Amino acid sequence: MDCRVLSVQSHVVRGYVGNKSASFPLQVLGFEVDTINSVQFSNHTGYEHWKGQVLTADELQVLYEGIKLNNVNQYDYVLTGYTRDDSFLDMVVDIVQELKRANPNLVYVCDPVLGDNGAMYVPENLLPIYRDKVVPAADIITPNQFEAELLLEQKLKLSVVFQVMNLLHSMGPDTVVITSSELPSPLGDQYLVALGSQKRVTADGTMVTQQIRMDIPRVDAVFVGTGDLFAAMLLAWTHLHPNDLKMACEKTVSVIYHVIKRTITYAKEVAGPNRRPSPAQLELRMVQSKADIEDPAIVLNALVL
Amino acid sequence: MECRVLSIQSHVVRGYVGNKSASFPLQVSIVPRRLAAQYTRDYYVIVLDRLAGGERKGHMVLGFEVDSINSVQFSNHTGYSHWKGQVLTADELHVLYEGIKLNNVNHYDYVLTGYTRDTSFLEMVVDIVQELKRANPNLVYVCDPVLGDHGSMYVPQNLHPVYKNKVVPVADIITPNQFEAELLTGKNISTEKDAVEVMDLLHKMGPDTVVITSSDLPPRLGDRFLVSFGSQRILMPDGTRTTQRIRIEVPKVDAVFVGTGDLFAAMLLAWTHHYPTDLKTACEKTFSVMHHVIQRTISYAHEMAGPGRRPSPAQLELRMVQSKADIEDPAIVMEATVL
Repeated sequence: MDCRVLSVQSHVVRGYVGNKSASFPLQVLGFEVDTINSVQFSNHTGYEHWKGQVLTADELQVLYEGIKLNNVNQYDYVLTGYTRDDSFLDMVVDIVQELKRANPNLVYVCDPVLGDNGAMYVPENLLPIYRDKVVPAADIITPNQFEAELLLEQKLKLSVVFQVMNLLHSMGPDTVVITSSELPSPLGDQYLVALGSQKRVTADGTMVTQQIRMDIPRVDAVFVGTGDLFAAMLLAWTHLHPNDLKMACEKTVSVIYHVIKRTITYAKEVAGPNRRPSPAQLELRMVQSKADIEDPAIVLNALVL
Repeated sequence: MECRVLSIQSHVVRGYVGNKSASFPLQVSIVPRRLAAQYTRDYYVIVLDRLAGGERKGHMVLGFEVDSINSVQFSNHTGYSHWKGQVLTADELHVLYEGIKLNNVNHYDYVLTGYTRDTSFLEMVVDIVQELKRANPNLVYVCDPVLGDHGSMYVPQNLHPVYKNKVVPVADIITPNQFEAELLTGKNISTEKDAVEVMDLLHKMGPDTVVITSSDLPPRLGDRFLVSFGSQRILMPDGTRTTQRIRIEVPKVDAVFVGTGDLFAAMLLAWTHHYPTDLKTACEKTFSVMHHVIQRTISYAHEMAGPGRRPSPAQLELRMVQSKADIEDPAIVMEATVL
């Protein structure tokens, strides 16, 4: 049977962020992907120039109305990422709630994009919306450390890892992945630490939680769109491994690793020796990574905590 | 090196028309690396490194890079009971192109366009194509001159002169149906000889490759088929021109599909890229992909609709992601005759 995703994210004419980053990999894995483009820009905002148009909350609603009038507002997943507008985000929540009434098994995968490295890069008034409305409706979230700390108003430290993950669960989502953190890695400072936690009910009715840690090699480059790819692939691999967060995370992280590696190699080749690759050259090598997306060789293992 | 396509077509949230129909198949297509660093469509090209069992993957360039400008964003195509959404103006199109240009990344190997309803938008597309051709004289513009079908226009009439006088003259590959070919040339097609003459007239207008995607000429294989034609002008290394013309009969289907023309143009782009001087093979592959996708779609649609019921537009959406293997490597299921 079809597995249908509604992804509400940015569209860029050139490059791989937002829906451009999420669609192809999900389609390659056999998902039907319906996409609402929240903006249409020439390229991502890390280039020197960018131009384009944004979708308003009303226009978003109009598009959803079209789907609903045709009685095809049935989805298995909703996927959202970077948003800058509070009314748009409110409308997304309304849509998710209506879709969940239509299909109570719907899984909402939400990347609560707020900021990184200690600073917010979306308007501040989005934080209460994520905290009070979006995350409570979400089933899977992929915050980074900064976003997790903002949502909980609590710092992440080694001594409170389990509490932090449980607090995030208590906000709503049964699956939480902290995609990167500055927690110390036993493998040294060339690694960053990712954490995952999944609550589920077993066949005999008991609630179990699987928690994992991954030590991920740092890369010396700024990539755009990797977070969007991560959320999309976590959707796919938790779908294919619903009771095994370890496996789902190993596959997801491995896909990102293969794509990044291919991208760095290409970027350095086209930039030339001793030159910093440009944003254009650093666009993810997405279509070239098809085989890795379809069947990722696991290159990083997760530790069950 | 990679092969980059700029596709300017509709976007639908749900379903497969316009850019939704073209992007995924082009992204999963397998693009062979060319021997010559520079080549033009007018010269013979030695194509190396056909995909063979994956061992040569290291030499392959996998997938077209597809940059897509969405001319509209609708909930779904207009064959459903309802549709809602927003359209891009010619100015907004220009703004998006400006962004690409300001970053010096306005370099494309192909441009692909299809269904458009607005003359100023179409004119802006022509301006963009001309500028991109100045940046890359080897750029190939694949144009589906969507005007109508079965004897009537389904776009505003004032698009006809724009296609005829401005768009088709800058196109390199066009995929009109019989009605559109007749409209553009002012000549009717009643026989195969007429089809050849019309294709020659279309060549004179600009494009070196013309495929008449469907006609109502009587098929030799019987009335369960329809007849299509192709014609490609090639410049030989010795400076002479030759024209390869083909006729291909494809199984008719008893259903209305939307998005198949967009898929056709995208796949013709891919397969003429693979086989730049072998229109016969390019068409056999392209029409075969269509056949596999359509067959899979019909089976699914009937299964969903149930016995004795007509499938709905939603049920008839092309089974695109399910057809990935056929798109990558289509089994050839029909043979073209060289005329």
